[in-house]
Order: sequence, then C-alpha cells, then structure tokens
Amino acid sequence: MKLNSQKAGILLIAPSVLLICSLLVYPVLYGAWLSLFKKHSFFPDQRFVGITNYIYLMKNSDFWMSIWYGTVYSVSTIFFQIIIGIVAALIVNEAFKGRNFVRGVILFPYVIPTVVAIILWKWLLNDQFGLVNYLLVSVGIVEDPLSWMGKDYIMTTLILISIWEFFPFVVLSILARMQTIPPVLYSAAKVDGAGPFRRFIHVTLPQLRNVLFVIILLRSIWMFTKFDTVWLLTQGGGADKYIRTLPVYAYMRTFMYYQAGLGSALAVIMFIILVVATMIYFKMFRREEEI
Amino acid sequence: MTPKNNFFSLRGQFLYWCAAILVVSTAFPFFWMVSTSFKPLPEIFVSPPRFLPDEFTLANFERLFEQTRFLTYFRNSVFVSLATVILTITIGSAGAYSLTRFQFYGREKIASLILFTYMFAPIMIVIPFYVLIKKIGLANTHIALIMAYTAFCLPFSLWLLRAFFQSIPLALEKAALIDGASRFQAVIYVVLPSALPGIIATSIFTFILAWNDYIFVRILITSDELKTLSVGIADLYNATVIDWGMIMAGIMLITVPILIFFVFVQRYLIAGWGAGAMKG
Repeated sequence: MKLNSQKAGILLIAPSVLLICSLLVYPVLYGAWLSLFKKHSFFPDQRFVGITNYIYLMKNSDFWMSIWYGTVYSVSTIFFQIIIGIVAALIVNEAFKGRNFVRGVILFPYVIPTVVAIILWKWLLNDQFGLVNYLLVSVGIVEDPLSWMGKDYIMTTLILISIWEFFPFVVLSILARMQTIPPVLYSAAKVDGAGPFRRFIHVTLPQLRNVLFVIILLRSIWMFTKFDTVWLLTQGGGADKYIRTLPVYAYMRTFMYYQAGLGSALAVIMFIILVVATMIYFKMFRREEEI
Repeated sequence: MTPKNNFFSLRGQFLYWCAAILVVSTAFPFFWMVSTSFKPLPEIFVSPPRFLPDEFTLANFERLFEQTRFLTYFRNSVFVSLATVILTITIGSAGAYSLTRFQFYGREKIASLILFTYMFAPIMIVIPFYVLIKKIGLANTHIALIMAYTAFCLPFSLWLLRAFFQSIPLALEKAALIDGASRFQAVIYVVLPSALPGIIATSIFTFILAWNDYIFVRILITSDELKTLSVGIADLYNATVIDWGMIMAGIMLITVPILIFFVFVQRYLIAGWGAGAMKG
C-alpha cells in the first residue's frame, strides 16, 4: 500500500492539476500577455504595443468611473448582505415551528439563475404595470410611480436586487457556524447576568469572527467581479452608464468595441486590485491562529 | 437546545413576525411569477393587480413551446450541466482521494494552488479563454462550455471533497484490505459509500453553477440551437415587445426543476455548506 503510493497519488491528482493549469491558470497568464497587444476580438491580427493599453486606461475617465461604480456597488451590497445575513441567521437559529421551512425558503434567491432573478424584478419593478409601484402609490408612499430602471434609481435598484440575491449565502454560512457554538458559553453568560444583547456581543460575535473573516473576503471578491447581475439589469434600460462597473466595462471593451487587448488589460487590473486588497485585508484582520 | 419559543409569548410573537418578513420577501417574487404565468394577457396588465388569476390559462406556455426554441434550450442545459457534473465528480473524487490518502512531493503546493484558483472569477478568465477556444477551433460547441464549467467547478469541488474524504477514517480501508479486498475494491465498497453525502453535495453545487451560468454561454455560443436556458431566455426577453406572460412561463419552468431538486436534497446542501462550498 505504501510502496507505489507516490506514483499512484500523482497519477490520481494529475487530471485535476492539468485541467486547472490549462483552463484557469494559463488563460489568466495569456490574458496578461494579450493586454500588451492591440488585438481585434474576432480577427487574428495583433500588434505588440507594450503598456499602451494601460496608459490609455489611466487617462480614461470611463475607466475611473467604472472603478468608482464597482466600489460603491460592492461595498454597499456587502455591508447590507452581512447585516441582514447575521440578523436572519439569528432568527432561523431559534427553535420555532416551521423553522426548516423558513430555512429552505430563504435560500431560494441564491439557487436560481441570475437571469431569472433579474427578469422577476424587472417585472415587479416595471414602471407602468409593476406591483411594487402599484403598492407604493396606493399606500401613498410616493405620488407618482418610480422609474426604477431610470438613471436616478438604477444603482439603488441594482444594490437592492443584489442584496436579495446573495444574502442567503451569508445566512447559511453563519448558521453553520452558529450551530457549533457550545451552549455552555451562553448559560455561563446568563449566570453572569448578561442580557440577550450582551450575550450576542460578547459570546456570539467573537465566535463568528473567523467565519465572518472568510465570508467578507469571498463575498468581496465575488461582488467586485460580479458580471451577470449588473449586465442583465442594464439591458434595455438606457441607463446602463450609471452602473457600468469594472467587469461590465471589460466585457464591453472586448465584445462590443472588439478591443481584446484593452479588455484583457482591464481584467489584469481587476486581478491586481483583488490581490492587493486581499493582502491588505489579511494583514489587517487575520489573527495568528489558523482560520 | 433552547426550549421552543411559544407563539403566544412576546419573544415568540417577535420571532414569528421576523420569520414571516423573511419568507415573504424571499418567496413572494416567485409566487408572483407563478401567478403571472397562468394569467391571460389582458389580466396581466389590469389595475389593480390580482394576486391570483381570475381566469386560469395555459396559453402562455403554449406560446412558449410553439413560438420559441425553449425546449431545445432546456435540453442543452440538461446535457451540458449533467456532463459537467459527471466529469467534475470523476476527476475531483480521484484528486481529492489522492490529496487525502497519498504522500507525494508537492502535495501541499497543489492544495494551495487549488485554493488560490478558487478565487478566480469568470470575468477574469473569459476574454483570454474565448481567444484560446477560438484558436483551437472549439468556439460555438458544447464541449467548450463543458470544459469551462469543469475547470471552474474543480477547485471548489476538490476542496469540498477533500474535507469529506478527510473525515472518513483510514482504519475502514485498512480493515477492508486486511480482509483481502484490493485497493480498488476498498475504494468502491468502503470509501465511496461513506463519501456519498459529500459527493451529492458537490454534484448539486456543480449542477447549479452550470445550470445558472450566463457569461460563458453568452461568449462561447453563437448558434441559437446550441444556447442554454440562461442566454436563451435572456434573448427572448430582449428580442421584441416583451411578452410578459410567456417570459414568466419560461422562467418558471427554469426555476421549478431547481427548486424541486433543492427541496429533496436540502440536507446534503447544508452539509456541504458547513465544509465551505459554493461560489458566485
């Protein structure tokens, strides 16, 4: 069993490593190489231009706007996902009748295709026939129907839909951790006279520290690189300029202006921002113990 | 375990209200989708809106099947997603088994490479991926999609399966070997059955990722008859004047298989979550 384990082990992991290297790592490196070229997305002709693409982007106001929109979008959605996620996890962690039903239902938004989520909300938020506007007007919160897909509200709409779609991830991750907190910690705090709020601050939160560290990291990466939710919402509204985040801008450069080199440069910049941000994040928050 | 919260206590009341708000805000859009998909066209736009159809109709579904390629998209989605699951689970299980049962040079390096690639997002890959796929002549094929999804699902699948394989005691296998089983038999009859919950959880995550994907289909597939559901329905939506009834019928049919599937396998899904699965 031990004799040829070196060989067998390598043989079994080889397909995984080969696929990951050729289909994930190599494309990323190839993208970095492409970003030094002026290249048409469909035709094979390409010309080496060095860092011209990067210099162009540094002087381009659309690029800086996309960084700004992307930051606004990811910071606000992450903040609310975490807050709502913790509150919801505290609720479904309580014992009550129908708890499993509630736990199942609140996951729905996360498991459906993004296309479905977007079309659903476009129908609910439709300015003429949408249910939301009807309710808002009939209750008297607003006088005239809101134009949710118009330029004034599109960012708010995008943020609300994204929170709705992705907060279940936070709920489940936190719930899984909460279930492993030893109940004796709570009874000890109770004996010491701590009320529910102080028990949450002094018992629950410190226990959640590590899982929150991971969730915030993953969600930040995924929200900052989120493409489909943003892209699908912009289609057909005319207000797409106001939510053009970095991933959408990279996509447009490549597949609408056919500038594959420039698009690759944007992807590389995205990658660098993520790596630097992750390193700073680890420096600031990671404690000595293993996560 | 805390005692059950009584519905009539103040605390119980508060809890039930919070739970109700959660359920309504997550489930109501789906209820509205189902309700709209069974309404005849004039009733869809009526004011005030009706929560349930006055007159129940299947006309929206008929239009969907007769006037669009919905069934083709559906078949494509099923094929691509299942192929991805089979490929990912086969390659991933072998890899995870290797990572947990064998000592070899570079094992820890491979594990960290996998964790690192877990952070890659589709948008960072898709541009060079598209150029490369075009170069080798696989653009506009289902094979390109399956390759992309398998590569994308492998890191988290390996990570998740590794956690499950780690929790299976080595003694079980050793006992089987002492009883005269070959290593292969030990894996098939002892290891895989114990790892089944993990394999199921990983399959679900992989399936959902492939089923829900939009960006790879958008970029790699150009022929209408090869499109999968996400892009198919998005294009129907963008095509002309929006036929809300038909669109709702379509997205309902995409969602229902996932939700039914999900209800049945929920406990595995939640087991996988504890081990740190899922991306997106």
